[in-house]
Amino acid sequence: MNKKELIQGMRDSIPIVLGYFPLGFAFGVLAVQVGLSIFQSVLMSVLCFTGAGQYISIGVMQAGGAVITAILANILVNLRYFLFATSMVPHYKDLPTVPASILSYGLTDETYAVAISRYQTRPATIAYMAGLNLTSHIAWITSTFIGAALGMLITNTDQYGFGFALPAMYTCLLVLMINKRSDVIAALSAALACLVIGWLIPASMANMSNIIIATILGATIGVIIHERD
Amino acid sequence: MSATSIFIMIFGVSLASLLPRILPVALLSRISFPPVFIRWLSYVAPAVLGALTALSVLAPQGTIHISINNIYIWAFIPTLFSAIKTRSLFITLIVGIVSMALLYNLF
Repeated sequence: MNKKELIQGMRDSIPIVLGYFPLGFAFGVLAVQVGLSIFQSVLMSVLCFTGAGQYISIGVMQAGGAVITAILANILVNLRYFLFATSMVPHYKDLPTVPASILSYGLTDETYAVAISRYQTRPATIAYMAGLNLTSHIAWITSTFIGAALGMLITNTDQYGFGFALPAMYTCLLVLMINKRSDVIAALSAALACLVIGWLIPASMANMSNIIIATILGATIGVIIHERD
Repeated sequence: MSATSIFIMIFGVSLASLLPRILPVALLSRISFPPVFIRWLSYVAPAVLGALTALSVLAPQGTIHISINNIYIWAFIPTLFSAIKTRSLFITLIVGIVSMALLYNLF
């Protein structure tokens, strides 16, 4: 395994780690309050690694919903990963399939955004994927554990500005992804579409299906404009 | 929920989040896509980042909140500026977090 690539991946995960810490911490706190044990909360972060999906699951638990409701909601919420993973496939064509598939478990909104931005200029490697995805996952697990263990002593993390870590990261990655006019139009149409859909159908905000529809729409508009240019 | 239901939920949610990420890479890597589809896939990243940025700033608590009272919008301005100016993830993150901390504690 290429050590330089591994370290680069770990280094690129730093902003993700900063962003995950308050989110994972808050998940741990809430999970314990809803009735999960510390072990169950941590197990969930190990096996699921889906921020929105985990929040939805404990929300369903709190509302007294059924297990199947939590699972169905997660199928919907995680459908967007199918799109992300498919868009990674062309970058992975020179990689061995088995480790690339296993490491794809660490694909999240954030690791996707960082990785796809890097693959614009550098080829994908297993070592880079491992550094980026595993470090992010470990941060998610660790912060869940701390939140679950200290659940009773929660303080307000908002006052330290960490609530803006992920928006700031998205903003910067968006700027880095924009190289031509059609990119701007794809991004703006997706932004507008997901807000309009979320406004018209509030349920789509909760299950994040507005992101999927907006992405498909934005990418299609991007291709159409690209063909005309 | 009983402990058994909790474990069933955890494993079910795990499968629901694992399969959509792994299956495309495991199954599609040997297939070559038509060029127009690859081009379409290249627009997935700007599109999804546009959507995520818009939602994280304009709907920070999960519901759309477009108003001068939404401090995320105010924090977004210096953050976007530093992203364009520096193109550095680290600097942008610091600017974003510091702006948010200032706004949160001042207003």
